[in-house]
Amino acid sequence: MGSVSLRHITKHYGSVCALDQLCLDIPAGELVVLLGSSGCGKTTLLRSVAGLERPDQGQVLIDGQDVTALATRHRPIGMVFQSYALFPHMTVRQNIAFPLRARQRPAHRRASRVEELLELVHLGPQADRFPNQLSGGQQQRASLARALAASPQVLLLDEPLSALDALVRQQLREEIRRIQKTLQITTLFVTHDQAEAMAIADRVAVMRQGRIEQIATPLELYETPSTRFSASFVGNRNALELPLQDGRIRFGQVLDMAVPGLASRRAIVFFRPEDVEFSQNGVGHPAKIESKIFQGAHTRLHLVAEAEGLMGRFYADLPSRQAHSLEPGNTVKVSIHPSRARVFPADG
Amino acid sequence: MVLDRRRLPSLGRGLLLAGLVIYLLLPIAAVLLYAFSTRWTSHLLPDGYTASHWLQALADPRLVAVMLRTLGLALLVTLLDILLIVPAIYWQWIYNPRIRPHLELTAAIPFVLPYVVIAFGILSLSGQFLPAVQGTVGLLALSHGVVAFPFFYWAVDNAMAAADVALLNEVAKTCGASPWRSLVQVILPNISVGIATGSMLVFAVSFNEFALVQILVGARYETVSLYSLDLLTGTNADFNKLAVITMFTFVVVFTLSALSVYLNRGQGQTRRLMIGSRSKA
Repeated sequence: MGSVSLRHITKHYGSVCALDQLCLDIPAGELVVLLGSSGCGKTTLLRSVAGLERPDQGQVLIDGQDVTALATRHRPIGMVFQSYALFPHMTVRQNIAFPLRARQRPAHRRASRVEELLELVHLGPQADRFPNQLSGGQQQRASLARALAASPQVLLLDEPLSALDALVRQQLREEIRRIQKTLQITTLFVTHDQAEAMAIADRVAVMRQGRIEQIATPLELYETPSTRFSASFVGNRNALELPLQDGRIRFGQVLDMAVPGLASRRAIVFFRPEDVEFSQNGVGHPAKIESKIFQGAHTRLHLVAEAEGLMGRFYADLPSRQAHSLEPGNTVKVSIHPSRARVFPADG
Repeated sequence: MVLDRRRLPSLGRGLLLAGLVIYLLLPIAAVLLYAFSTRWTSHLLPDGYTASHWLQALADPRLVAVMLRTLGLALLVTLLDILLIVPAIYWQWIYNPRIRPHLELTAAIPFVLPYVVIAFGILSLSGQFLPAVQGTVGLLALSHGVVAFPFFYWAVDNAMAAADVALLNEVAKTCGASPWRSLVQVILPNISVGIATGSMLVFAVSFNEFALVQILVGARYETVSLYSLDLLTGTNADFNKLAVITMFTFVVVFTLSALSVYLNRGQGQTRRLMIGSRSKA
């Protein structure tokens, strides 16, 4: 399977810059998720790799070969589209065979390859059905099989799960990961769903305004976001804007930490709701419970605390069994360990 | 008898529908009866009935020739429109969406200008640049192709929109298909109903057209409409035969229109005419 290298890819649509000098290297066999909000350029990037968009500048290399000027049909890629995009006049079998026919593979090899793929995506019993006779999940599996039919070096998936309901989405995302690992195929997966990105990726590239803000493993991204945008975009996170005094940030006993080298008068402190510690022994800062939301295994408490002349609102997740006795209006003692907080300049 | 108040609206609708059907069918029924009548003088119905007008019409070599010419012309025009317009609309959808307003504007022209004006325009233009084509069937076929363009354009354009040909084309490309394979094996099967519908409409327009035939070729290429005029106004006027021809033309056009409606039933559905293919639920 081939590696993918994107070098200084730039793409404009009129005056709008969709991709801005973007660079990305994906080793062979890795699954990289492009994560970002609408309009950040993730689909444009995917389409540039596919050859469906021609970058204004930059190079696309697949397995070391420059394919920037190569037509889509000659690129060693397979692509899965958001809307399944199966050919409606062909059966599942014919859809999967189409890339093999287009590449003029001999009939006997076509047949055996189609059977292999039908087995891989568990669509054997539906092989002779038309797309309109399949569920959404089955259609997307057929679409995946079609993308893999010609044994491409790179698999491109453009929000492949966004049109599916939650349960099917979760099942299919596990299946995509299983297939990707089985085939060890280099994969670029576009999504705006953080949970999906975290669950499926070897590495997640967080995109913003045509650039990659951060690329890291899901755990790194979750635990140690390197930019303010990554911190605010990935996962549920509290953000408190606090003044910086003598190289320290203080918010009563909720948080007190040294922040060396931060050249700013105010800072944004990010911390996760599960990192809010509830004191058992009276140590900590008093915070009033404003509301309580049961979420199954966890209960979310919306808290308000006052310190240093400031009022801070944040939320905390607590195992539901522990939250059972807490009610809105109660006061609890809370604190945040400095190692769990990420600090960025407020004007950054 | 007291009428149920709740039934009144449905009774009103029924009466309205019946009135409309009678209004539409009465002229057709009258022509049909006239085509089978021996004489029709002062009564509500013909004095007597005969099939001799039909037998005579079918045995008339001039009428058979007229029918074949009209059929040939309509088929030629249909083929021309398919070959010229399908690639143009495909080009618009895939490569150059910016030409869409121009195509839409062009499609409006035949509705805005009377056919007589279009005919004299074509006559003037061809006389200036290509005098050799004046009076030829080729020029007539091209002209019919132009006036039938909107019917074909909208049918095929709607089919392309319903099939999302831009997406299908991209998918085909990522599958490694050449533009030709993509067009033939992916796009055309998915817009076949639109092409069929448009073709039927083009055929019907050409089959029935009078002004362009009269002005551009006249008696050199007599079609059904010219022959009908001759039967109506000539010294050897034969109204019964005219009724036969009118019925024949009506049946052809009505059948094509009904087929067109049948193929397009169910809005928003992508339907195909390929053998073994299914309609989208």
